[in-house]
Amino acid sequence: MFALVDVNSMYCACEQVFDPSIRGKPVVVLSNNDGCIVAANRQAKVLGIPKFKPFFEVKALCEKHKVVVKSSNYELYSSLSNKLMDVIGRFAPEQHVYSIDESFLSFKHCAAIPDLHAQAMSIRRAAWKETRLAVCVGIGNTLTLAKVANHAAKKHANYHGVCVIESVQQRTEILKAMDVSEVWGIGRQLSKRLKELGISTAYALSQMPAKKARRFFNVNVERTVRELNGAPCMSWDEARADKQQIFSTRSVGERITELNSLKQALSQHIAIAAAKARKQGSNCRTMMLFTASSPHDDRPKSFRRTLQFAYATNCTVTLTKAMSNIVHELFVTGVRFYRIGVGLINLEPQESSQFELFEQKQTNPALMQVLDRVNARYGRDFMFVASQGCEQKWSMRRDYLTPQYTTSWQDIPKVKC
Amino acid sequence: MKIIPLLAHAGIVGFESPAAEYTDLELSLDELLIEHPSSSWIALAVGTSMTGVGIFDGDILVIDRHETARNTDVIVANLNGEFTCKIIDFTGRQLLSACPHHRAVSISEHDEFTIEGVVSRSVRCHRPSPLFTSKS
Repeated sequence: MFALVDVNSMYCACEQVFDPSIRGKPVVVLSNNDGCIVAANRQAKVLGIPKFKPFFEVKALCEKHKVVVKSSNYELYSSLSNKLMDVIGRFAPEQHVYSIDESFLSFKHCAAIPDLHAQAMSIRRAAWKETRLAVCVGIGNTLTLAKVANHAAKKHANYHGVCVIESVQQRTEILKAMDVSEVWGIGRQLSKRLKELGISTAYALSQMPAKKARRFFNVNVERTVRELNGAPCMSWDEARADKQQIFSTRSVGERITELNSLKQALSQHIAIAAAKARKQGSNCRTMMLFTASSPHDDRPKSFRRTLQFAYATNCTVTLTKAMSNIVHELFVTGVRFYRIGVGLINLEPQESSQFELFEQKQTNPALMQVLDRVNARYGRDFMFVASQGCEQKWSMRRDYLTPQYTTSWQDIPKVKC
Repeated sequence: MKIIPLLAHAGIVGFESPAAEYTDLELSLDELLIEHPSSSWIALAVGTSMTGVGIFDGDILVIDRHETARNTDVIVANLNGEFTCKIIDFTGRQLLSACPHHRAVSISEHDEFTIEGVVSRSVRCHRPSPLFTSKS
């Protein structure tokens, strides 16, 4: 049996851990640069605050209902996520952290746990007691069914946050009440096509002959159908597949109007993306750079350049140099740049990189290792390529940022004595 | 001149430092102060109501959520939306200070009250730590 444990409105919940004065209140969290709402807790959703809307459109509504508004504080979320994953991991022999707020557990060969429902309740209790994060637990025969159970646990209050799919009858009931678009791995496009075929619930999908699912769609849909019927086909290692592309893109706090600032901003994004590539052990052969003014401007402008490397690389210095050579092509005087980004595409695993006969290798892995280690020890951007510049006026806007309670000594919570 | 780019091993290499196998035993204050890292949090004590148990203004508190509070434990509670450090008195349903100038606070059903962990350690920096002053 597998369990999926996930946090209810993770970002909002994290904001409430060290600020008891906003517990029980409607909370929303804004995206990078305070652009739009990326998370809303139950109390905020009840008030009709929509997710993924530009913040300025719903600001008045938030003020009217006294909704607590926060900028995203990823330092806090990832620190609390680590703690939570530790606590959850105690309850099963195997754990796979799937995302910042979701973790799979495997109860294979676990005759020692006779009552999975009680086990799930203990997970929920421990998570709340020890990290002050409320989680839902779904348990099923397969990863897909664990997701289904988790969905049910969250949707229906009478489950009290825990749902274990144990009988076929119970499974059928739950699948019948679930829209096909909510099934793990069935995206918007797929569910549209499925609905055209008259398949609108998860149950209808599970009744589709598996072979047909493969013929009409692909092998992944076939596996989903089998998993919905309780036959394990997916292993969680596949859910960890390396990212094929890495993007670092953002709208800037203050519009960029100078070539030098643009260069600095791009340098920083290159540094972020390259560090990510090194972390997952990937090299890139192609780098995409783009710059644009706001799409809401009178005459929106956008520029894009793609750079190819003879050598697949993840070296910040190499990538930054390549950018410096062409950055003037991405800049026009008079355009007020609002959105910039870097994409590393065409990624390949470090170990399988091809060597070129006539090309001089220009990377410096030892230097990059030092860079990553220093930054892991002393914080991001403790050490950086000088072209990033020291004064970053264009950096993120975070007007409603909470302190970094768990990662900065100056920000630790205060307790009245 | 040709040089063999290898370390020549002549058989006698000397004794390995007898201390080498003990290098892992370096003491760590984390180990002493934080028993349950994933369920502990660190906070700054503000105020003088707990001086009787040795918690002074500006001390650092290690608060453990894994531990279950027992009667007369020093705890941190959320009392009406504010973190407060007191001695828990379950029998009298009240929060006690450790200082003669402060009266006990009784908890009624109208109060928002949760225990946010047991204060397992407190730390005093007799000389201020630069970590709290320098903005890195």
